This record gives sequence, C-alpha cells and structure tokens, in this order.
Amino acid sequence: MTSFTRRSLLGASAMALALTSGAAFAADCPIKIGGMAPLSAPGTVVGGEAMRDAMLIAEEDINAAGGVLGCEVEVVIGDTEGLPEKGAALMEKFITQDGVVAVGGGYHSSVGVASKDVAEARGVPVVFAETWNDTITGDKQKFIFRIAPLSSWASSTIWKHTLEVPGVQKVAILTENTDYGIPAAQETTKGLEGGGKEVETFSVDIGTQDYAGIVQRMKAGDPDMIIVLATGEAGYNFQQQASDAGIGSLDIPFHAGQVSLESKAYWENVPDGNYAFVQRIGVPETLFTDEGKAFAAKYKERTGKDAVESYAMEAYDSIAIIAQAIAEAGSTDGEAIVAALENIEHHGTLGKIYFPYGTKKDPSEDGKGDEWWHQWPDVALTVIQYQTEGESSGGATIVWPEAYRTGDPVYVHQ
Amino acid sequence: MESPLLFWGVILWMIVWGAVGSVVLRRRYLHRDLDTTNTVFVGAMSGAALGPVGLAPLWLTTPKLGNLLIIAPALLTVFLIAVAFSFADPDNICVTSSGFVASQAVNGLIIGIIYGFMALGLTLIFSILGIVSFAHGEFYMVGGMLVYFISAVWLPGVPPLVAVMGACAIAFLIGAVFERLMLTPMYRGKIDRPVEYGILVTFGLAFTMQYFVQAVAGANPVKAQRFIDFPRMRWPEDSDPIWVKTSRGGVTLFEQVSVSNPRLIAAVTCVLVLLALMYLLHRTWTGKALRAVSQDRDAAAIAGINPDRMNMLAFALGGMIAALAGALLVQAFSWLPQVGNIPAMRSFVIVVLGGLGSLPGAFLGGIMVGLVEAAGTGCIPDAQKAASYIPAYGMIVLTLTLLLRPTGMFGRRFAAGTHGKF
Repeated sequence: MTSFTRRSLLGASAMALALTSGAAFAADCPIKIGGMAPLSAPGTVVGGEAMRDAMLIAEEDINAAGGVLGCEVEVVIGDTEGLPEKGAALMEKFITQDGVVAVGGGYHSSVGVASKDVAEARGVPVVFAETWNDTITGDKQKFIFRIAPLSSWASSTIWKHTLEVPGVQKVAILTENTDYGIPAAQETTKGLEGGGKEVETFSVDIGTQDYAGIVQRMKAGDPDMIIVLATGEAGYNFQQQASDAGIGSLDIPFHAGQVSLESKAYWENVPDGNYAFVQRIGVPETLFTDEGKAFAAKYKERTGKDAVESYAMEAYDSIAIIAQAIAEAGSTDGEAIVAALENIEHHGTLGKIYFPYGTKKDPSEDGKGDEWWHQWPDVALTVIQYQTEGESSGGATIVWPEAYRTGDPVYVHQ
Repeated sequence: MESPLLFWGVILWMIVWGAVGSVVLRRRYLHRDLDTTNTVFVGAMSGAALGPVGLAPLWLTTPKLGNLLIIAPALLTVFLIAVAFSFADPDNICVTSSGFVASQAVNGLIIGIIYGFMALGLTLIFSILGIVSFAHGEFYMVGGMLVYFISAVWLPGVPPLVAVMGACAIAFLIGAVFERLMLTPMYRGKIDRPVEYGILVTFGLAFTMQYFVQAVAGANPVKAQRFIDFPRMRWPEDSDPIWVKTSRGGVTLFEQVSVSNPRLIAAVTCVLVLLALMYLLHRTWTGKALRAVSQDRDAAAIAGINPDRMNMLAFALGGMIAALAGALLVQAFSWLPQVGNIPAMRSFVIVVLGGLGSLPGAFLGGIMVGLVEAAGTGCIPDAQKAASYIPAYGMIVLTLTLLLRPTGMFGRRFAAGTHGKF
C-alpha cells in the first residue's frame, strides 16, 4: 500500500466516523495525545530522541490524513529522563495540565511501571511502545495496553540465541537495577541454566560510567560470552571498556544492549564494537509492511539516519493506533477508547496490531498468563550482528531466528 | 562466604572496641587537659585493631598523638579486616588470585588519581573563596564536550593536545568571567548572606551550563577518539611472563594487570599537571599569594596581595582543573550534558574526606576512594551486589571519617581564608 492510499484510507475512515458520531463534534480541538520519551540522562536519550521524532511524524501523518473526529491531533512530548518518579509526574502533568486524552510512547520499563497506575487511576488509556516489564500488562489494568514484547518473551530471544552459539559454557550478564534489567536478567539466567550453561550476573545502577572493576572481575571469571541488559549510554561505556580489557565483541561472543541499534552513536562510542550481536524488534527492512516502508523513508529523510530503529516504529504505531481508536470510538472518552482498542485491527509499521486478551477475553481462557492482557502477541524478534565496522543496524546481518536469517553469524572465538 | 560468622564477628569486635576506644581515650586526654584533636580517631583505630591491648598503653601513658600513632593503627585495622576476610572466604577471588588483586589495585589507583585531581579544583576554590562550587561537575562536562567538538566537529584532525588546551583555556575563561560577574558582590558587602549566595549562584551556573550544552549540542552521547594509540610492544621479548605488553588500546603488566590506554594517559597527565600545580603554588609569587589568601585574607591584603584577583584566579583555576579531568576522560567514557553529576558528588565526598581546603588531602582522598571502590567491586562475594554498591563505598568511608575525624584527613578547623568571616 502506498503512502497516498494509506493516507486516503485514514482520511476516509476518519471522515466516516466523524459523520456518524455525534460525539465527534463535541471533542475539544486539537485532540492532545501524550508522548513519553527519555530525552535527558540517565534515560536513553538516543532512544528517546528517535521515539520523539517518530511520534511527531505520526502526528503529521494523522493530520495530513484529515485528523481525528474533525480535529487536528497534537502530540505533547514529555521527558521522562528514564526515571520512574519523573515518569509518574509526567503522566500526572499530561492528564491534569495538558489535557491529553491518551498517552503513547514510553521507553524504560521502570517508567512504565511507575506511570501506569497514574493513568489507570485517572481513566486515561496508555499504549506503551517500548516498555518490556511483564507486570505492566500483568496487572490487568483496564486502561493499559502495550505493543512492545514482554520482557520474558524478549529475554527468551537472547537465551535461545545464546544456546545456539557454539563453545559457550559460561555466560556473564551485565544488567541494570531497574524494572527492565532485573526481570530480564532472571529470565535469561533461567533459560540459560535450563540449557546447562553457567551464568554470573552483575547488576549496576542505571547511568554507571566506570566499569573497570566490574570488567576485571568479569574477566577473571573467564566467560565464554557476555550479555548486556543495560539501556542508554551505560551499554556503550561497558562494551568499550570490556573491549579495552580484552573481553569485548572482538574477543568473545558479545550480546550488546538494544541502544546499539543507534548505529551512528554506537560506532562513535564503541569503535571496537564489531561482531556484536543485538536484539532487534520487528522484521528486516526488506519485509516491512507498506506502512513500515513509508514511515522508514520519511524517518530517514527527517533524521538523516540510514536505518530505522524498532523503538521508533513502536513509538509511531503507539500514536497511530490511539488515533485510530479515537476515530473508531467516535469519542475522546477513556472508556470508549479502551473499548475501541480491545476490538482494533491496526495496520501499523510493525504489522497488524491487535489485542486478543482483555475485558472480553481473559488470557487464562487460552492458558496464558496475566501478562498477555492488552498485549500485542505478534511482535517479531530477531538478532542481528554487526559484521562490518561502521555499518548501519538496518543493513546488519540477521543471524537469528532461522526464518529471518540473512547471513551466517561470525563467531570471533572460533 | 564460607564462614560469615567469623568475618562479622571480627567486625563486631572491632566496632565495639573502636567505640570504647574513641570515648575512653578522649575522656582520658580531656581529664589530663591534653590536646584531644586526634583522640577519637586514634582511640577508635587502636581499639578496633588491638582491643584492650592497644588501648591500655595509650590510656596509661597518654602520648602525643603524632603521625605514627595515627597511621599505624589505621593500617593495622585494614590489614586485620583483610586477614579476617581471607579466613572467612578462602575461595574468594581476592584471596586466591594475586594477579586479580594487583589488577584491581592498579585500576583503583588510576581512577583514584583522576578522582583526586578533579577534587583538587573543588578544594582549591573552597580554600581561597570559602564557597563550595556546585558547578564543578559542569566544568568537568564542558571540558569533555569541548575536546569532542574541537577535535571531531569544529577542527577535525586537530592534535588532541590542542583540543585539550583549548578546552582548558575556555573553561578558565568561563570561570574567570563568572567569578567577576557573579561572585564579586560577595566580597564587597553587597550580599547579606554571602556563603549561601555563593552556593546558590554556583548552583545557577551548574544548571545554566548543563542546559545550555544540552540545547546547543543535544543530549546524545558523544565520545572523542583515543588521543594516541600505543605501539605494539612486548618487553622483554622472550620472558615468561612478559613484563610489559602494549596494544593500541592498553597496557598489560606481567600478563595480569591490564590498564586501558585512555585511563593511563589521563592518570599520567593528572600527575604531571599536579606536579606543575604544586610548583605553581609553592615556587611562584602567584602561588604563594594564593596560599597566603587561603591562610589569612586580611594579612595577605596588607602584604600587597590583591585578594579579589586571587579569588578570580582560584575559581578559574579550579574550574579549569575539573575541565581538564573531563577533557582527558572524554576518550574513555561516553559523554552527555549530565555526565558531571556523579563525578561532582564524588568530588564532594573526596574533599570532605581529605579535609576541606587541603590539596594533598583531596588527592589522597581520591586515591582512597578509588581503592575502596575497586576493593568493594572486586571482593564482595555476591557479584550482583558488588557492582550495585559502587556509589555506596565512598559514602561508607566518608561516614566513618566524619564520625572519627570530622575535619577529614588533612583538614583545618577554618580551612578557608574567608570561611566564617562573612
């Protein structure tokens, strides 16, 4: 589907809904949607800026397609700083001062965990874009939705891939002390130990700069592989310091943090970062949906980047799906938006997004855990490997899973 | 830990006898109308190390508490803790691997030198102006940012030395201008509460610098390339183990201790600049004038020194020292506008630990914090907790120091020339 036809469809659906719903004309214009992103340290600023750019592109696309309920949409961007207390305060501000009708975006799990209760209490729907902690949806809150993968599910990508790396018996994990890092490390450890591997975990505060002592201790343990579960520039700092000590991605198999998808910043901050594995959400660019291709083109043009990060696509989709839900609800009322989201079928940049479990069907009916409540179940997870210095994450070789594989992995220890 | 009861039993014994010693010895010296300055510290350390055996001779003879009696029981206490730890956890890597211990010690020393160097600037400002600069971390950040922008954006290909010197010059200028514009009202009686004003106005400078840099440069992490690559070398060629092995990214000693190139360059530069600073302070008229103002502002003025000019020089020099630390570390760490927050906090810990206003104290305090952090990170049995507690190690040392010696290791009661006089 081309950009033009997509816009036409969006515009037509918006117009139809506006004409059929009396509430459409009651909406205050512009309709405000909150957009959460970490734009200051200790949050992952590179990720936050990518999400901000994506959410603003979503705003433009929605308005170019005629807006929602006859109104323009305004995405109000807020900085969470990656801190839970800031996230909760931002959610409060979005709702009480800015008057948003729903909220999208969100990067750090700890921010999601802290802010979701504020939104739930005030009856404002949230579609979290990149917060992985299982409890975010596991608390089965009415107004909370998520299009990012579950932490337990994302962790399984890492440990399943690690189990396939030859010659790895001992794994060292560096994790951050957050609502993302701790459960992710536990899930990864559980999976690896189940596969007969030995695991040692080191946890650090978010934003830690100096890893010399930890790296030396890790090195003394002689690990066969290192996995980084830290967000932000902490991942860059650790990886380069590990490389300086001879246990970086040029020396042993090394699974880098997701921030390594920011190719330009990655190569500047981790010049010895070749052959690192990185988890990526979404299918390879060649398999993007029409919406994904259109967004990628616009995003690259806007940002000057040569690849589109998965969290940028998630951020875009989080705003777009809210806009569609408002249009389908014909109202900006929170309850109506939730009802629309539970029945939605949104063709986003990441694929067809829907929420099979919620008030109309409990996850337990299909033998699933509470974390699948209001959770998009079809997120594609892959592992890429940088195999040429300076290459973009979009062009990097996909090495796992087999279904999406574009090349063979390079195992530096062999 | 194999025998936690043994280790914690020893610690408890030390705490009890340390507390007894600090109280008893001070009372004894007071009773005899003697100088009590170091009695709490010496009593605590002697009690902790030797219990009643250490305290009894001191109680009976009440000797003058010189450097030997201050340092020896403290070192003995640390040694005994290490011995107790080695018996309690014989399989710990800090007990079984001397190479690892050497590696942690060297890395702790190197980062400690850099910490201490940065804290030096803070204590210099305090000793002359009598204010704690809350913008110290931002000078550190600006130093690194300037090196990155000079060497990678504005003048690509420029030698790193030029970039570092340029960053120092700009930081010096910022410090001098700020001091002239914002701090001079403090000395001229225009401010009711000058000490509080000094704190608030440097807070303002910190926010301004941080958000100005964020607005201009963005909040993405940046990093300067290594200033120089070491040549590949093995010396001696046919020795086993090889004593010194270098690669472009670092140095390995005896195939056990590895130090990264950026840290080594930063530490060596800090030591060289420290020596130059000592020369400036002790061998030049300007340095002597600075020290004179730090000791007695009015007397210095009577001797023909312009204290206001020394204030400007001290603030600019202090800011420049922090900027130099940042300029040297931007090749080691990813750099953000908020990068100075943690080093600034650590600098506050170090200057209080070393003694407010004491330059040697700041430097030794930095090394002590670096070594304690390395020991904690390396030796705490639970690897997960060892790394999590990094920020706490310095705080534990600081708390103990303040309890036992509130003036810090080398502190004076009134360290600053202007402190307490406004």
